[in-house]
Amino acid sequence: MSADRYSRQSFLGPDAEELIARYTVAVPGLGGGGSHIVQQFAHIGFQNYVLYDGDAVEESNLNRLIGAKQADAMAETPKLHLAKMMIYDLQPHAKIRGFACNWQEHPEPMRECQIVIGCVDSYKGREELEIACRRYLMHYIDIGMDVHGTDRPVIGGQIIQSSPGGLCMRCMGFLTDEKLAQEAARYGKAGARPQVVWPNGVLASTAVGMAVDLVTGWTRKCRSHAYLVYDGNEGTVSESITLRNLKTPCRHFSTADVGDPILVEL
Amino acid sequence: MAYSEVQIEELKGYCKKVGALTELGIDLLYLEALRLPAGCTPEVCDALLCPVAKDGYSSRLYFSQQINGRFARNWNGTVRIGEKNWYAFSWKVELSAPTLAQILLAHLNGFAKEK
Amino acid sequence: MKLLIKLTGALHAEMLHDLTRKHPFAAERVGFVTARIGTLADEGRLILLTGYHSIPDSEYVNDPSVGARIGSDAITWAMQAAYHGRPRREGIFHVHIHGHRGETGMSGVDSREIPPMIPGFQGVGRYAAHGIIILSLNHGSTWVWLPGQQEPVQADSMAVIGAPVQVFNHGRKK
Repeated sequence: MSADRYSRQSFLGPDAEELIARYTVAVPGLGGGGSHIVQQFAHIGFQNYVLYDGDAVEESNLNRLIGAKQADAMAETPKLHLAKMMIYDLQPHAKIRGFACNWQEHPEPMRECQIVIGCVDSYKGREELEIACRRYLMHYIDIGMDVHGTDRPVIGGQIIQSSPGGLCMRCMGFLTDEKLAQEAARYGKAGARPQVVWPNGVLASTAVGMAVDLVTGWTRKCRSHAYLVYDGNEGTVSESITLRNLKTPCRHFSTADVGDPILVEL
Repeated sequence: MAYSEVQIEELKGYCKKVGALTELGIDLLYLEALRLPAGCTPEVCDALLCPVAKDGYSSRLYFSQQINGRFARNWNGTVRIGEKNWYAFSWKVELSAPTLAQILLAHLNGFAKEK
Repeated sequence: MKLLIKLTGALHAEMLHDLTRKHPFAAERVGFVTARIGTLADEGRLILLTGYHSIPDSEYVNDPSVGARIGSDAITWAMQAAYHGRPRREGIFHVHIHGHRGETGMSGVDSREIPPMIPGFQGVGRYAAHGIIILSLNHGSTWVWLPGQQEPVQADSMAVIGAPVQVFNHGRKK
């Protein structure tokens, strides 16, 4: 591999290439958001991956699934296979552990990671990922987008960093009991949610930037948490107002939540 | 654990063992080999009782697998708690100051009633 | 069998800050870390460090023949922590720092003095992992006695989950 390959990202630091290659990232969900993330990670030089997705490419994915072609929809190519090929085409020596299922079916490999980027489509799914990341000490970066309204559609989204010891998604006002209850009440009734490629790209790129900063420290910001809100109509990404006057430390997770759960016989 | 010993002992009458699990500040009760109502397959299953409000339900009973009963149920509660996967069907229980056993029985009643 | 160590950036910083402080007479400082177990695939284990206990200056014994010697009060604290940690399967790790860069190992004194503590911790907290951590200025090595094991296993890596993340791999010299 030529020394020129990463010369344009030398501003990340003299050891950045080695650091990026050393760490392991998990991406549960290889759809519209996850496919962007995996592609960018491969370009940047990440070598170690844990990937989860049990779905196959469908026609309706082609408007946004990075790397998918018409032939993949016809062949029902597994999204996991698509992601692996995308990585191997850029990083032939990458170590990929891929699981054609939800992460909940094979949670142990994810626990070896340092960073998890969640590209799931439910609040419940996000809560479960965050709990796992707090138990087994992983940085959790969450992305998601939605389109509200039909007459005047509004595109919204978020990029959140929830790290062990730092504020969680509940502290930051993103996850609430109300949202979880409303989602539970809607289960099975929601149809296909609107999804398009460019907001996914904005969210994924921002998340990848956060991950690279966690790995290299190039901005020297040393963030313990982050909650960025994407306004797809205005084309802006800005800090959520819920972070203003936020008290620390996290009120929802403690060291009591770390490690394998303990069942106490009564 | 916030529940009285008397109530815990009462729960033990319905299963092999009762255990305590805390997650996100909620105390849940693990019921090993809970005996299910007649007509259920399997007849016995591990379960997790959440006796407090969570996810829009005043209480919830999760099972380690989906249960086949006499009536079709909306299994809308596939969740991960305590690093295990659990399944619950939609069943609202509204009781006034119930004991743990009363909550459990009210949820198990979901297998016995058509609606 | 994979054996990994993880801790938060805040805990790592707390340990480094305390262990690099000067002591009135001891050449080194010592602390204790509590730790829980996580399960990995293929019977691997994750040791998750949860808290740090700084040993007060007064609980050191003045012994110029070694870098640091802690007194009975310090050991008592550790034994009590192992006892109280039983419901959470929380074990105790002895930790100190070697003041150089790169991967470090146990000195002759370390090998002689520290491992004999472990059976005592195991006797009190049978279902927990206990062990020894030796940090350097930019690395960390860990020897773990898993529950029921008489011999230690050296961890494959230590990951500091902070900003930025740091991973110290066993066998890596820098």
